[in-house]
Amino acid sequence: MTDLPAPSFESRLTQAREVSARLKRALAEVIVGQDAVVEQVLWGLIAGGHVLLEGNPGLGKTLLVRTLASCLDLRFSRIQFTPDLMPSDVTGTNILVMDGSGQGTRGRFELHRGPIFGQVVLADEINRATPKTQSALLEAMQEHAVTIAGTRHALDEPFFVLATENPIEMEGTYPLPEAQLDRFLLKISVPAPSEDELTEILSRTTGKPTSEPQRVLTRQDVRELQALCREVAVAEPVLRYAARLVNASAPDAADAPEVVRRAVRYGAGVRGAQSLVLAGKAVALLEGRAHVSFADLQRTAAPVLRHRILLSFEGEADGVSCDQIVRELVASVLTRPPAVERAVQGA
Amino acid sequence: MAPPAQRDFHWAFHRLAERVHRRHAGRLALTGASLGLSLGVLGALGLWAVRWGEWRPAAAGLGALGAVVGAVLANRRRWSESDVALYLDARLGSHETLTTALAAQGSQEPALTHVLERASSVLGSADPERVKPKLWSRWHALLPAAMSAIVAVSLLPLPPAPPPAPVAPGAERVQIENLKGLERIEALSHLPGQNPEQDERLRKLAEQAKKLREALAKGLEKREALSEIAKLRDGIAAERLKLGDRQNQPGLDAALRAFSNQPALRDAQKALGNGDLTAFDDEMQKLANRAESSDRKAAKDALEEAGKEARAKGAQGLADALDAQKRLFERRESRAEALRELAQGMKGKLSPEALEDLKEFGRSGSPEAEQRLADGLERALEGLTAEERKRLAERMQRQLEDAQGSASPMTKKQLEELAKQLSRPEGIEQLKKQLQELAKPESSPDARREQGLGDAERGGSAAQRGLGAVPIPMAGEDDATGPPGGNPRESGQAGPQGSGPGSKRDSGSGDHQGSTPEIASKELRSKADARLQAGAPMHGATLGRAPARAGETANQLGTGSLGEAQKTEVGAVDHADIPEEYREQVGRYFEP
Repeated sequence: MTDLPAPSFESRLTQAREVSARLKRALAEVIVGQDAVVEQVLWGLIAGGHVLLEGNPGLGKTLLVRTLASCLDLRFSRIQFTPDLMPSDVTGTNILVMDGSGQGTRGRFELHRGPIFGQVVLADEINRATPKTQSALLEAMQEHAVTIAGTRHALDEPFFVLATENPIEMEGTYPLPEAQLDRFLLKISVPAPSEDELTEILSRTTGKPTSEPQRVLTRQDVRELQALCREVAVAEPVLRYAARLVNASAPDAADAPEVVRRAVRYGAGVRGAQSLVLAGKAVALLEGRAHVSFADLQRTAAPVLRHRILLSFEGEADGVSCDQIVRELVASVLTRPPAVERAVQGA
Repeated sequence: MAPPAQRDFHWAFHRLAERVHRRHAGRLALTGASLGLSLGVLGALGLWAVRWGEWRPAAAGLGALGAVVGAVLANRRRWSESDVALYLDARLGSHETLTTALAAQGSQEPALTHVLERASSVLGSADPERVKPKLWSRWHALLPAAMSAIVAVSLLPLPPAPPPAPVAPGAERVQIENLKGLERIEALSHLPGQNPEQDERLRKLAEQAKKLREALAKGLEKREALSEIAKLRDGIAAERLKLGDRQNQPGLDAALRAFSNQPALRDAQKALGNGDLTAFDDEMQKLANRAESSDRKAAKDALEEAGKEARAKGAQGLADALDAQKRLFERRESRAEALRELAQGMKGKLSPEALEDLKEFGRSGSPEAEQRLADGLERALEGLTAEERKRLAERMQRQLEDAQGSASPMTKKQLEELAKQLSRPEGIEQLKKQLQELAKPESSPDARREQGLGDAERGGSAAQRGLGAVPIPMAGEDDATGPPGGNPRESGQAGPQGSGPGSKRDSGSGDHQGSTPEIASKELRSKADARLQAGAPMHGATLGRAPARAGETANQLGTGSLGEAQKTEVGAVDHADIPEEYREQVGRYFEP
């Protein structure tokens, strides 16, 4: 048996593009429109981060996650978050199992794994559970491991949490704590479909049941995509831009825009900058590049930073949105040194 | 050895980077030149405004300077390779491929190698013309515009020269070779003083006048020259006799009382009261010349008594002056007697005019009549034959014997000499000379000194006029066109200078009626319709015991109706805190 030569980086890159294109096509067979949402979910998947989908009910959030899980050769689990959901319902618990019957029967504790042990976990309506239950996800999301009864259990890779939440039903909901939010790589806003898209949805969903989507990506493919994403190069000026962008989101930063000073209470932190670069790498990879550009960061800025910026009372009172602040940040923070920027503009 | 992709990238990148650097430096140099030339336009305009016409083209040098500064600035702010890569990425739309590849040099990571290959490819297909930075900006339009403006300003005719700044009053320099009037002050060096100390002071005044004349010949500020002359005038005024001051006033009053008993001495009393020793000397000369012996005796007695009274009252200077006048009076009296004796001896040979002069000489004793009489005698002597001369000599001898000591010893001796001379033809010439000597008036030393000091003061006034200033008018001051030398009697002019009705030099020929024009008004609102006579003293101010001279103010040392000016009051305007440029005007304001 002869060892096959290791594939070149270029071929890996090409294959990654093909795989991701295949996944997109598979998703598109089920999901009508929502190209940006699908694209951003793929960023999260490739970057190895978790995604929070926020949108009104009925926009296909759950369907998107279920379809994605169907397209991937990964174990899917779903947790429907309700106020009475307990942490053990998420993580699992040790149960007493009796061996034999009658005299001499011996019992033993056996781990009953919760839905968190899936590889693609749908945390549906995550804001309906109590903070205590929400916190059960913290360790799993950050460390890809769960501790049950003092025993730490590693989760199978890849581990990908997709949570959904409804922004309009505030009664009986528990807003996610900042620590929890920070652990999501992206927060994707799911928009309402356009007229054409809605027409297509109606056409597809009111007729005969459609066939289930095919599995187009193996577990190995996903791992390869995630590994390749980590290899994408980032030049120092691009990293500095990411740092400037994140720093400027803090109201006490020297180069913070006026709207940030006025409407922001807390800006993004280190995890935000890391997420920005990782998401940028995913974007570059999906575009077949081995390096990150300023534009990649600017594209990912909104889903990466919007849930990491905490508005002040004044900002909320004025109706300032986090997306508006991110747009302002992208517009005000220079990508290049001023002299180079002037030369670029003047040339 | 670096992989080919790296070498290719390195070579291609640095080729483009150099072009970018050059264009960047060129752009900054052009910007500097534009700004420099723009400043040069302002500089050229400034040079045009200040009329430095020949320097205007040099303003274009600021453009070159600006270009150099721009180039230096470009060198100091030279872009880093990373900046160039960022610029090229932006221009080529290569999504920071070059920037990433620049950081990947030397790396063996597959991704970076891939990026390097992509970067080499990007650079290989890049159009250098497309990526070169823009060299010209809209600001560079200033370059030709400013250059044209400098040329235009350089060709522009210079503006007319501004009028010279006005010189502060008196600050202008004057250069006069020989300022008229100063020589009269210089003449003080020959004037005998009352004592050696005064001799020294007069000599110093003369020396200062000489130095001033020399300084004026070289050039001097007008105000400085006027100040020096004013000091000289102050010095001269200080040397004059002050009969009316606090120390001499009681003595003067007592002396005047001694003259008050005799009507014939009224004029002399008035002159003495005025403190005018020259006029007083004139009056005493007239009295000594008179034929009436009672007048002469009264005058001698008055002089003696006045001298005693003055000494008793502590006016030592006045007493000395009166004693000297008395001695002089006696000499004058004997000389006048001698002249009269000779005239009596030649009575038959004298012309009617000479006889009239003899009468006038005896009546008024005026020096003019004396001179005319001497001339008449001289003419008469020329017409004498030898026989007549012999008879005249015998007659004079007889008169001498008859007189028996009535004449003074000197007169007798003189007459004896005359009698001897008359017997010889050459004696006639000798006699003529002596006649002229007899007719020549002899002034008292004090009068001569006062006269000399007055002349010097008038010289100072003339010098001030010569410098364009308006001097303080003084009594008897001759005008600037008059002959120097002051003494009207010696100048040979008929009549006293500046004599007006009521003045001390008025000969009294007028009717003294006077008239005041009627004032067309219901009530009198003004004191008088006084009319000043130029150069003459103000008659209304010359009366009184302590006469004042017109214009005598605290600006000049002297005595007047207000008493003696204090030292702090003298030159008050000059010492006051008045700006130099206004000092002359303020001084004029306080002049009457």
